[in-house]
Amino acid sequence: MTDSKYFTTTKKGEIFELKAELNSDKKEKKKEAVKKVIASMTVGKDVSALFPDVVNCMQTDNLELKKLVYLYLMNYAKSQPDMAIMAVNTFVKDCEDPNPLIRALAVRTMGCIRVDKITEYLCEPLRKCLKDEDPYVRKTAAVCVAKLHDINAQLVEDQGFLDTLKDLISDSNPMVVANAVAALSEIAESHPNSNLLDLNPQTINKLLTALNECTEWGQIFILDCLANYMPRDDRESQSICERVTPRLSHANSAVVLSAVKVLMKFMEMLPKDLDYYGTLLKKLAPPLVTLLSAEPELQYVALRNINLIVQKRPEILKHEMKVFFVKYNDPIYVKLEKLDIMIRLASQANIAQVLAELKEYATEVDVDFVRKAVRAIGRCAIKVEQSAERCVSTLLDLIQTKVNYVVQEAIVVIKDIFRKYPNKYESVIATLCENLDSLDEPEARAAMIWIVGEYAERIDNADELLESFLEGFHDESTQVQLQLLTAIVKLFLKKPTETQELVQQVLSLATQDSDNPDLRDRGYIYWRLLSTDPVAAKEVVLAEKPLISEETDLIEPTLLEELICHIGTLASVYHKPPSAFVEGSRGVQHKKLTARAGSGESAESPDVGLSGPSEAPPAVIPSQGDLLGDLLNLDLAPPTATVPSVQPSMQMGAMDLLGGGLDSLMGDESDTLGGDIGGSPSMGGGLGVAPAAMPAALGGAPAVGGGLGDLFDLSGGVGMPTGSYVAPKTVWLPAMKAKGLEISGTFARRGGIIQMDLSLTNKAMSVMTDFAIQFNRNSFGLAPAGPLQVLTPLSPNQTIDVSLPLSTSGPVMKMEPLNNLQVAVKNNIDVFYFSCQYPISMIFVEDGKMERQVFLATWKDIPNDNEALFQIKDIHLNSDAASNKLQGSNIFTIAKRTVEGQDMLYLSVKLTNGIWVLAEMRIQTGNPNYTEMELSIKCRAPEVSPFVFQCYELVLKN
Amino acid sequence: MISQIFILSSKGDHLIYKDFRGEESKDAINVFYEMVTALSGNQPPVVMSHKGLNFIHIRQGGLYWVASTNTNPSPFTIIEFLNRLAALTKDYCGSLSEKSVRMNFALIYELLDEMVDFGYIQTTSTDILKNFIQTEAVSSKPFSLFDLSNVGLFGAETQQSKVAPSVAASRPIMSSRGEQGGKNEIFVDVIERLSVVIGSKGVLMKADIQGEIRIKCFLPTCSEMRIGLNEELSIGKSELKGYSSAVRVDECRFHQAVKLDEFDTFRILKVCPSQGEQTVMQYQLCDELPCAPPFQLFPSVEKDYVNRVLIFLKLRCDLPPKSTALNVSITVPVPKGSTSMSQELSSPDQTAELQPKNKALLWEIPRFPGGAQLSALFKVDVPGLSSASLLEVGPVSMSFELPKQTCTGLQIRFLRLSPTQTGLSQRWVRYVTHSDSYTIRI
Repeated sequence: MTDSKYFTTTKKGEIFELKAELNSDKKEKKKEAVKKVIASMTVGKDVSALFPDVVNCMQTDNLELKKLVYLYLMNYAKSQPDMAIMAVNTFVKDCEDPNPLIRALAVRTMGCIRVDKITEYLCEPLRKCLKDEDPYVRKTAAVCVAKLHDINAQLVEDQGFLDTLKDLISDSNPMVVANAVAALSEIAESHPNSNLLDLNPQTINKLLTALNECTEWGQIFILDCLANYMPRDDRESQSICERVTPRLSHANSAVVLSAVKVLMKFMEMLPKDLDYYGTLLKKLAPPLVTLLSAEPELQYVALRNINLIVQKRPEILKHEMKVFFVKYNDPIYVKLEKLDIMIRLASQANIAQVLAELKEYATEVDVDFVRKAVRAIGRCAIKVEQSAERCVSTLLDLIQTKVNYVVQEAIVVIKDIFRKYPNKYESVIATLCENLDSLDEPEARAAMIWIVGEYAERIDNADELLESFLEGFHDESTQVQLQLLTAIVKLFLKKPTETQELVQQVLSLATQDSDNPDLRDRGYIYWRLLSTDPVAAKEVVLAEKPLISEETDLIEPTLLEELICHIGTLASVYHKPPSAFVEGSRGVQHKKLTARAGSGESAESPDVGLSGPSEAPPAVIPSQGDLLGDLLNLDLAPPTATVPSVQPSMQMGAMDLLGGGLDSLMGDESDTLGGDIGGSPSMGGGLGVAPAAMPAALGGAPAVGGGLGDLFDLSGGVGMPTGSYVAPKTVWLPAMKAKGLEISGTFARRGGIIQMDLSLTNKAMSVMTDFAIQFNRNSFGLAPAGPLQVLTPLSPNQTIDVSLPLSTSGPVMKMEPLNNLQVAVKNNIDVFYFSCQYPISMIFVEDGKMERQVFLATWKDIPNDNEALFQIKDIHLNSDAASNKLQGSNIFTIAKRTVEGQDMLYLSVKLTNGIWVLAEMRIQTGNPNYTEMELSIKCRAPEVSPFVFQCYELVLKN
Repeated sequence: MISQIFILSSKGDHLIYKDFRGEESKDAINVFYEMVTALSGNQPPVVMSHKGLNFIHIRQGGLYWVASTNTNPSPFTIIEFLNRLAALTKDYCGSLSEKSVRMNFALIYELLDEMVDFGYIQTTSTDILKNFIQTEAVSSKPFSLFDLSNVGLFGAETQQSKVAPSVAASRPIMSSRGEQGGKNEIFVDVIERLSVVIGSKGVLMKADIQGEIRIKCFLPTCSEMRIGLNEELSIGKSELKGYSSAVRVDECRFHQAVKLDEFDTFRILKVCPSQGEQTVMQYQLCDELPCAPPFQLFPSVEKDYVNRVLIFLKLRCDLPPKSTALNVSITVPVPKGSTSMSQELSSPDQTAELQPKNKALLWEIPRFPGGAQLSALFKVDVPGLSSASLLEVGPVSMSFELPKQTCTGLQIRFLRLSPTQTGLSQRWVRYVTHSDSYTIRI
């Protein structure tokens, strides 16, 4: 006998032994044996061979033994479906047992045996149990419906279990109600459009009643279900809020957070001037603060949620700054989250306190935390202007510690402070320069180089400093190399005489010795700019930089809206929408609906806005709201109505800008620049070696203003079938600038597609072929959606009309002015460049009609600073005509009201990049001669407002 | 919804595994264990995600208590549930350890079956559960009142005539048929955690107290208990009662079984305690201490020779003279690169050591009577000391416990059981204040 044989017999022996014990007559022995079997099962041993023997033990009146056998069955039935049938009889019998515990046990276990063949036997017992007299059995049966639905959805529907389940919502026992709600919620997720969970005021009332009586876990099911409900009006949402508020003092933090979610959602529907709104805000703070006294795990989860809440409604916690101060024994992940929230809550009122804290943190042991604390000081400076000076001096103190990572971090944030407050704190530069040698991280080095370049004229030895970096140029990271290149060019433009050698050195390092295409390209661009047109170079390189914004790291508003609807769930911890981590469709669809139902500004909200009113009447809100409400029956035509679409044009307004823009681009006053730069001949020579392949357009082009002044009315030649009004074409590229090619054009939006209508005229002597077009990056990512369709060669004196469809998926870069578009057109002769401006109404999308409540909430949400006021004069339109006209250009009227002889229109526009622009328009109706309109525009991106205003004006005047 | 629940030992052994929805495979356990052991210190361990499966876990009793889910549930729900599961396991098995879980696996499976159905949490209340649970607990350590090796509660001295041994509360609650430990006892603990920040000039910058009243009940029958708190207790910031030094808390939360009809007028909590441990009331007080903070520190930090820092600490305990603080330890951060230290302490039972790894020195005082003042001088050698290095000294953090003390002044006036069980039941009330985070800036 070999060893291995011995081992197998042992194993067999074990199973054999268990088998014998299972078949023993003694109950105690049987029980012990089943326990042993389950123990082996837990550690992963295969004991499926014992299936028949274990099932034999099932028929017993000993509840403990029965439970153990059922435990085994649930685990192995799936792998032994044929044998599992053996158990069915006992199950059916147990479902009739006088003992409710046994009935419930049987129905619970049967549902867990995921074998198709068994399900048909399950139906009858389940039906009985759903109507059982004992609530314990009924609540188990309710869950069993969900189990069965998971195995065989069709069967559940056919057997009518769903209706029985719906009836259980009205059950007298709150546990049964809670389980029925949970089961229905889950089933509803797989039928997103069914009306399974028919939430109406009656059921809501039942749920709210059950809420007070059921267990804490049941309360969570019910609260989560409530969060999906859409109250009819603000009175209903207030009454629900009132009944949910007591849950905020529950000891179970899960209940508290679910209640917070319901309140946060329903608060959206309450008018802000209501007393109750303020009361509610006050009530939300203490429970959130209390969550921070829990164990670190819960604290972390709570902080992630608070982070969302603070971004949505900072007023809730604005007085609670102190609770977010870190404790020395907090785990690092809690500390970092607290720090983040502290910055979000920082304001003028508490900044002194916050700074004192941050300074303490900067001397702690943990490197990551210290770094973040230093960064936080910088963010405070940028956020609260009054504190900037204090922050800078604090940072300087920290630099004095000479702790390496503190110094580096401080320099990075000081760079940002310079960006925000230019020419204010330059006195500190000397201190920064002292620490040059200790910088070893690319980000800090790049920041320091940027500072030296930016303020080169105030640093005496700027050239030496930069030169010292240049020595190891090729060992630096790309970030540092790019920064160094730019900084030296800046230095050269500021002090051309002393730094010529340096700039040549860096340009040749960048262009000739580098493998990095970005670096090479940037090098060449500088080189060409400098060699041809130093004035233009100065304007480009030393251009005034836009200030950096105050708030950083904000979650994008649409995502934030969605996450608010998911407060207290995993999504709120990951800060990702559930679709990002939940596989398959389960749960995702459902929760998205939730997000829409709230006042989410998600991309889908306009769809809801269109279909919403028929399903759920919008809230009637006092103050502004009730006036809006008057108009609820205002019959607004859908966007595809027959109103002739009026395409605005803003070429007239844009003309000057265009001329000026081109001038600076072309730099046609180039003859003066030699003198400017100090006219040293050696410099000219040095730069002369630059590659000669200059784009023709950059050469000394003649002034173009005059050519652009002409307007050609080519609208007759536009053969587009839609019949909508399109602005006349204007000349974009005069023939004399483009070797005989003249391009005129306009923009139109047809059926949701932006089109660029071009007329190409050949004014040269020879045939033109091989046309192609390209756009530079632009503010809204416009890009040709296809090639330029010029199929036949263009013979002399021939004109051809082309319509080029555009997409908005191209690369984005902010242009000045915003609607500027730089175009390159190529033919067999050369490449030509021109720039034109498109009316911003091109990028107003068709689904730009915002839901009324969303409009209200968004209007309030956008800070007043972002509001811009305009006047439109000489308009002879009443409000309805204006509304119709605007609608043709995708400017939608949300509501209208009349106050003191004035019509107020509320309008919304959505841009292709998802930005919403809201407007309130005041029209005098009393006096027909008085023709002034007042327009106030609100948008999260206020720079868009003037352009939108121009569109309004153009549309209305046309 | 919960997909699976499993309990692992610290070494990753499978102790309990329960699949509620049949959706995920058992491999998840190993995936989880690999992920949790690979976590670095900076990553929050609370929730982890792997291929659409999310793990939420807590650690208690040296075990991993894990729930997995493939949906988007509330992590609060699951963490709370896992905490309750651990607490219930402790209640039923007497203690929490790998051994007790192994010995009682059948009981734990039975509990899990009743607590969770198809991933929905059903109940965690011992009162409800005891109707269903059949399995008897196997106690890993037979309980004996004479096991007094670990005398005192929360480390307190045994001056009181009647003191419950600290192990008295750790035994299974369900020993209905067992002959041992059938004692009718109820323990009520008032536990406060104190976190304080004292500024560099001795100014109190922040003071929070988190408190809770916890009961552990071994009474088999459910009779109503009335807990009387200080009558002058006021709740909320606005309720200032003249000049009287009222006992005040900002906010409180109650267990849902607590009846509050006599609370508003008489400050009496009425509760029918179920067997096992539960938190009856939680409360907190922010920003305002009714008494002086228990410790004041008077530090001085100087540069001595070229490479030496002198740290002189004078620590005063502002407790009433009869009280004592225990296990006081003081941590002082020292400059980077500190190599060695010499110290002068005022009594031999104190200890001090330099921990270069943590850049800190640790001074420990086992007993610190109220009203006393202790001082210590530390000389730390730091090669390459600069004046900026001195900035690295501080803030000082302290940990301690104050037995028989509550900082809010919250007291339990009486504890009455009705119907009165004559002489059968023993009631214990214990108070303790722990330091949560006690920081003194230099």
